[in-house]
Amino acid sequence: MTLMEKHVFVDEKLQEVRESGRLEYRSRSLPTWCPGCGYFAIVEGLTHACNTMGIAADQAVVVSGIGCSSRFPFFVNLFGFHTRNGRVLPVATGIKTANDKLTVIGVGGDGDGFAIGGGHIAHAAKRNVDITYLLFDNGIYGLTKGQASPLSAIGLRTSTTPFENPERPLNPLMMLLSYGASWVGQAYAGQPDHLREMITQAIAHRGFSYLHILSPCVTFDKTSKTYTNLSMKVRKLPAKHDTSNLMEAMQQAQDLDNPAVGLYYQQFRPTLSDTFDQVIALSAGEGRGA
Amino acid sequence: MNSTDIQIALCGSAGDGTIAAGDILRNAVAALGYRVICFDVYPPEIRGFGKCISRVRITTEQTYALKRQSDLLISLDDSHAIPHAGEVRTDGAIIYESKPVGHCPEGSHMSSHILPGQIPYGIPLRELAEKATGGARSRNLVVLGVIAGLLGFSPVPFQKIIEKKFAKQGPAVVSRNQAGFQSGYDVGVNTFKLDNVFCVPQESNPAAGKVVMLSGNAAVVQGCMDAELDTFFGYPITPATTIMERLATAMPKRGRRLLQTEDEISAIAATIGAGYTGARSATATSGPGLALMAEMLGLATMAEIPCVIFVSQRGGPSTGMPTKTEQSDLNAALYGSPGDSQRIVIAPTNVEGCYRCAGKAFEMSEQYQTPVIVLLDLYLSNRYETVTLTESGPPFTLNANKPLRRLEAGESYQRYAFTEDGVSPRAVPGDSGCMHVVTGLEHNTLGRPNDSEEIHTAMSRKRHDKLLAALHHPDFTVTKRIGHSGRIKVGILAWGSTFGECLEAMFMAHAEGISCASMKVVMLSPFPVEAVTQFMDDCDQVLVPEVNYEGQFAQLLQGILARPVVRLSRVPGSPMPVELILSEIRRLAGVV
Ligand SMILES: Cc1ncc(C[n+]2csc(CCOP(=O)(O)OP(=O)(O)O)c2C)c(N)n1
Ligand code: SF4
Ligand SMILES: [Mg+2]
Repeated sequence: MTLMEKHVFVDEKLQEVRESGRLEYRSRSLPTWCPGCGYFAIVEGLTHACNTMGIAADQAVVVSGIGCSSRFPFFVNLFGFHTRNGRVLPVATGIKTANDKLTVIGVGGDGDGFAIGGGHIAHAAKRNVDITYLLFDNGIYGLTKGQASPLSAIGLRTSTTPFENPERPLNPLMMLLSYGASWVGQAYAGQPDHLREMITQAIAHRGFSYLHILSPCVTFDKTSKTYTNLSMKVRKLPAKHDTSNLMEAMQQAQDLDNPAVGLYYQQFRPTLSDTFDQVIALSAGEGRGA
Repeated sequence: MNSTDIQIALCGSAGDGTIAAGDILRNAVAALGYRVICFDVYPPEIRGFGKCISRVRITTEQTYALKRQSDLLISLDDSHAIPHAGEVRTDGAIIYESKPVGHCPEGSHMSSHILPGQIPYGIPLRELAEKATGGARSRNLVVLGVIAGLLGFSPVPFQKIIEKKFAKQGPAVVSRNQAGFQSGYDVGVNTFKLDNVFCVPQESNPAAGKVVMLSGNAAVVQGCMDAELDTFFGYPITPATTIMERLATAMPKRGRRLLQTEDEISAIAATIGAGYTGARSATATSGPGLALMAEMLGLATMAEIPCVIFVSQRGGPSTGMPTKTEQSDLNAALYGSPGDSQRIVIAPTNVEGCYRCAGKAFEMSEQYQTPVIVLLDLYLSNRYETVTLTESGPPFTLNANKPLRRLEAGESYQRYAFTEDGVSPRAVPGDSGCMHVVTGLEHNTLGRPNDSEEIHTAMSRKRHDKLLAALHHPDFTVTKRIGHSGRIKVGILAWGSTFGECLEAMFMAHAEGISCASMKVVMLSPFPVEAVTQFMDDCDQVLVPEVNYEGQFAQLLQGILARPVVRLSRVPGSPMPVELILSEIRRLAGVV
């Protein structure tokens, strides 16, 4: 590789992006996020994934809750449902139940998912609803201007924990693994290439896919989940990591100090749609005995 | 006398088979062609020795409620039945165990509680059961036999139902139970008759259509199935649970999907998700669940998404009285949501209405793109009535969506376009080129967030005005006046299950020469201002009976119409007593 080849020229890059077809998946609304917010990389990642997978824009629905992160559907050119704080998963379950053919992607913040909506995760995972859930973890409530979230680090000062957050954070990957999610992975907004690869894999998985995305809030967290800190701490899962081994996945998930990105665990088992089909078959007197 | 009107009350303790006997009785007499209304009362505990009462009113003509006084009381447990002896009218009869086992302390036997004028039928039920079946458990069937024999009902449908009920346990069990019934029947036919309880054999039913016996909840399920419900999401709660239970059997057989969710928030969220996707979708709950659903209902209003919510009320607030009836969730149904909670709320008044309202709710929620709450209550959910279903097939439109127009080249689809009737053609995921975002935020015609005064005013108006058309929804009874026409002394305005009691009271008042009429208000939101005003114009006095403490319907009327009404609000945990309504009518009519 010569030095010259490393230069990127803006017009060439623009041409490449236009030709890729990826812009088809971007809406005409400009994101309302703060410059530097990790969420931009996630929009990029999803449009990339849709483009590489050839998903028809009118066959996909993005479901979100409430939060900075949940504004996401407005910035992609897919069907979108901006629901209520914490209700991403049950709404997505209803959509998938009504129409199996749709690609359903849930998005939301750490507060949306693990505080107000925390009761739903176990059940979506247990039912193995064939949807992809992208959890944007900035460890803070961004939209309401910087309060502590269930994923805030212990000791973090926020507007509601002015004397340091006394509580330890949840371990979301451990939770999802023990709930029986059939695809559990982690990515980091500061590594956009890997992020988009993980989003693609998550959507491709048949069953409930949970992708935890570490994503800095540049406005309300200057000390904890920042680009500087995360870039130093984030590591890759070991090359020999066995994604079919739940215990190994849990062991890796224990490490909150040096979070590992990659696919932790994958399992193939009947989805919610399969179980509906099974009930329908049983009710018709088929599938019994034999 | 050429018409029948008999009310039988069976009373026992949990485990005596009281409710089961009531079930056989009502099905058998319905098969004989009678009109039937029944309501069971049972304790909240599953086991234990709580009191169970099954009341069955058997008539030739359609009636609207149970009578306060029964013609026949059957005691399967004297300790529970004794307090109900007074419920039997003069010249009515009480059937009880004449040979109780063991020591019987003074006053604990029914025989010492029979009032002068009541006819005692002491029958050795246990002995008969033991002789016929080798055990005492079939006392409830023996007593059914006694009733059938005494009143002259043909034993055939009883025996058939018993056969069906026990078929799974084998022919020996069937014939044993049939023998139990027969032994009671033999006693019944040979007992001297009640000379003033008439039981006129029914001709084959003249009404065109199929007569079936349904509970309110079963009628709701029938309505859902006939309206081709696609998906259902629910979380169990008395008295709505049996809706989900019945659908859990019925839906898969038609290739439909039902999911038991983790809570009511999830149930309504998934119902809305499915509705957004274009499916006909519903959930069912009671007051506590409705409270949890309130926030999501606001989303359905804002995002204009069809969904149907069945709410069967019970005594409240909080956990309240789970197995007692009440009409106290009207306010929650009308207003329970953040912001202006535009929605349709309808409340059937009888079992047939449950069927119609259920089916029509799907039509309306699609046509007006709004949540529709169908308000039932425990009394309506659990009571049984004979219902005539039209033979010409279900009276529901199976697709009430406004047709979607093809987009011009380069045109963006406007999900919330302003239209004359306020309803915007709705695209759902999968409709080609119609990608858009729906949101709980206030939004412009494209669905983009917008909180300007102009947009919020125009959109609030759109969401409000589009519902007014529901007041003229085709083939739907929004209000109905029954009774004397023209100017009247007393007008009764009522909603929900209490309307049946109002009609009974009104007919009794007519017989006393009092000029009165009743109006049922089935649609509570949007409110039928015109029809109700017209009715009130005709009344000297307006009486509003309802089973809640605050007089929620009366408040609604007075808030909207600013006219005085006379409230009759009671919370007995049971239906409003007909006598109470009647005495209010008399008082208001100046008759003492
Ligand atoms: C029922 C309800 N409670 C509270 C809020 C206020 N609220 C909006 S977003 C939010 C938390 C958002 O945090 P998170 O999910 O982490 O998203 P982020 O903004 O960080 O992306 C809260 C508490 C609300 N909209 N609705
Ligand atoms: S407040 Fe934080 S999370 Fe919200 S957009 Fe700004 S940087 Fe992103
Ligand atoms: Mg957050």
